[in-house]
Amino acid sequence: MERRNFLKAALLGSVAGALQMKGIDLKAADKTTVETGNDMVAVMGGEPVPMYRKAIAAMGGMGKYIKKGYKVVVKPNIGWDKKPEFAANTNPELVAAIISDCFAAGASQVTVFDHCCDEWQACYEHSGIAEAARKAGAEVAFAHDEKYYKPVVLPKAVRLKNAKIHESIVDCDAWINVPILKNHGGAKMTVSMKNFMGIVWDRGFFHSNNLQQCIADASTYEKMPVLNIVDAYRIMTQNGPKGKSLDDVQLAKALFISPDIVAVDTAAIRFFSQFRKMDLASVGHIAKGEALHIGTSDLSKLKIERIKM
Amino acid sequence: MYKNLKKVRIIFAGLFFLIILASFLHFSSGWGTQWTLKTQFVPSLLAVFAGSALAFILLIVLTLLLGRVYCSFLCPLGILQDIIGRISVAIGKKKGKKKNGGYKKPHNILRYSILGIVGVLFAAGISYPLALLDPYSGFGKIAGQIFGNIELSVTNLLSEIFPSAIYYQQYVRFSLGSFLFALIFFLIIVLMSAFRGRLYCNTICPVGSLLGLISGASLLRPAIKKDMCVRCRACVSECKSNCIDLETKEIDVTRCVACYNCMASCKKGSIILAPVWKKPGSANKAVEAGNTDTSSANAGQDKQEIKESPTRKIESIGRRNALIAMGALGTAMVAKGLLKKETPAGGFSSGGKLGIAPPGAQSITHLKQYCTACHACVAACPNGIIKPAALEYGIDGFMLPTLKYDYKFCAYDCNICSQVCPDGALMPLTIEEKHLTQIGKANFRKDHCIIVKDGTDCGACDEHCPTKAITMQPYKDGLLLPHLNQDICIGCGGCEYVCPATPKAMIVMANAVQTQAIPPKVEKQEKIQVDDFGF
Repeated sequence: MERRNFLKAALLGSVAGALQMKGIDLKAADKTTVETGNDMVAVMGGEPVPMYRKAIAAMGGMGKYIKKGYKVVVKPNIGWDKKPEFAANTNPELVAAIISDCFAAGASQVTVFDHCCDEWQACYEHSGIAEAARKAGAEVAFAHDEKYYKPVVLPKAVRLKNAKIHESIVDCDAWINVPILKNHGGAKMTVSMKNFMGIVWDRGFFHSNNLQQCIADASTYEKMPVLNIVDAYRIMTQNGPKGKSLDDVQLAKALFISPDIVAVDTAAIRFFSQFRKMDLASVGHIAKGEALHIGTSDLSKLKIERIKM
Repeated sequence: MYKNLKKVRIIFAGLFFLIILASFLHFSSGWGTQWTLKTQFVPSLLAVFAGSALAFILLIVLTLLLGRVYCSFLCPLGILQDIIGRISVAIGKKKGKKKNGGYKKPHNILRYSILGIVGVLFAAGISYPLALLDPYSGFGKIAGQIFGNIELSVTNLLSEIFPSAIYYQQYVRFSLGSFLFALIFFLIIVLMSAFRGRLYCNTICPVGSLLGLISGASLLRPAIKKDMCVRCRACVSECKSNCIDLETKEIDVTRCVACYNCMASCKKGSIILAPVWKKPGSANKAVEAGNTDTSSANAGQDKQEIKESPTRKIESIGRRNALIAMGALGTAMVAKGLLKKETPAGGFSSGGKLGIAPPGAQSITHLKQYCTACHACVAACPNGIIKPAALEYGIDGFMLPTLKYDYKFCAYDCNICSQVCPDGALMPLTIEEKHLTQIGKANFRKDHCIIVKDGTDCGACDEHCPTKAITMQPYKDGLLLPHLNQDICIGCGGCEYVCPATPKAMIVMANAVQTQAIPPKVEKQEKIQVDDFGF
């Protein structure tokens, strides 16, 4: 699996490289990066991994974000003790493809974790993510106890001025945020910004101190994800974020990718709204995030490439 | 051949002990060894009421064949005492301490009084004394509270050394009342077994006393070939039950735990396992030599048996006692079975909040009747939410398992506790049954809710609710407020655990009798296909 993904990545990278009339050097994947000028790429109509391949290529290749020797964290949503088809957790194949790409780009180490809501071992196992990540060569880190979190200061935050963030994020060179698109009974929607709650230890603080503000505050952490890759292959449109049955799931077959966390969430929510009406203004953390200058919800300002498969 | 029986016993018991222990330790609790707990005597007796009598019948038959082999081969507390005895002998050798202490008269009044009291109360539906004295359940508490916490400390130490391979665990399993009980019980066992072998088993243990009585009718039993024995006392000093009387060259079968140490120690090979109808009296007895000289052997034996009429008398008393014991046991079980239906549903007495019984307990009354507080469920719970009760069920429910939602909640797709219970106190539930088993009901105290108090979004309870008994419904200023449908709620405690308000706005109150929840609403939605990105 790892080698096949590597070859695919290398092939795509080299095709992109050839288009740009650059030299093909598989070992130094950063040389296969392309300046596409895209701020965001949206793909729909394909399977998770092919959609991701198109998207990352259109964003200039993984080598643009992950440099040789980097310690990388890939942070999916593994919040719930649910199987992949229930769309409560990020698609494991997508996670594996991203990990393989990071290694292909020269990452020295890739770590995967989440601060789960349900019992963590059941989440890691039943989501299929732990197994997929290990097969792709990543380390699956423990995140179930406060001892694995380090205190950080969030000077730009309004309410959440101090937080404990998982040590692998604090210690990494770059991290990639890989949420799944779901409705959410508390935060209205959960996408990339809400996925930050899984890197923080004290989630209760968010809920008791203005949830929407704290979600925006967490995203002011100085070490932003180099990419946010929104898994919208299966989306949960009701009873989120945990869901109760397959009736809660829609097969949406989409993927969004951008370094701009507010923008990618805005795009994802507007896409979601076609399945189930969702007023962007009611998802308070989007506007609050924009007010904290962590991104823009004005998609017209961005160069977005839309790909249909 | 008889000399090797001890080795067989040590190997078997050692392995069996490790398997039982594995069921109580965190790192091995997922190995599925818990079925072995069903071989334990008191659980097998209780399981009869849950509809499975196989283990119980096998144990009775085993005892009728071979005496108290349960005590040496299967009982983890018995094996633990043997281990402690060995350690104390190893230490004692250096100090020149004597072993075990020779033949002692049985403490009949004490042991049969305890058995009688425990038995009568059990028949009357009061299982608590049995829960306190059952050797298996006592071992369970020691294993969980003492060995389990030692294990936790060791793995947490290792998690510092190998941070990416071994994970840290909170000490959530620690429970002061049970820990102290287990510690005191353990110290008593250590003292008794270090100085007097199986004293606990032959004075206090109701299982030992009962099986001892039944052994009075056992077919094969250790016996001394009287004319071969030279009274060297090697067997006496090895006997953990102090039951070999060299004055009469008799072995008290009601106290013999079938450890076979005597056979291994006898240099003359004069202690054998003999059928009760063939007394190994004469030297030419045909047990090992074969039946070449049957008539003279038989004649010799007959003469011997006539001379030994006191022995025959002991045997017939033994058989009579065994019959009485089995009759009494049967009567007690029938009485308990009849009383079962008449017991009122909610016979608890509790000052504070009633404890929430684990799924499958049926009712707190059922739990009290059948649970022996072995804590197999406490050890097996992957979320560590099953704790020994303090007084949540009243004084007669001390140490029975109860759910605590302080650190975690009951996982929706988990039924392990109901599967591992060997007593039938928790009746096995399928996942589908578990999904509908209402162990309690959430109560929404709106005034404490963050959304009402602070006017900000929350919905943590709704996030965690697996059945959607909690839904978020329009409140004011674009906010959504939890709405609770108690009929769908199964009492898993996800909402209570996660509620960020102080005091909590969601509290689960126990069902004294567990009921069926209404299945979660089916919310079909049209499968939508979109062709556009929407932005």
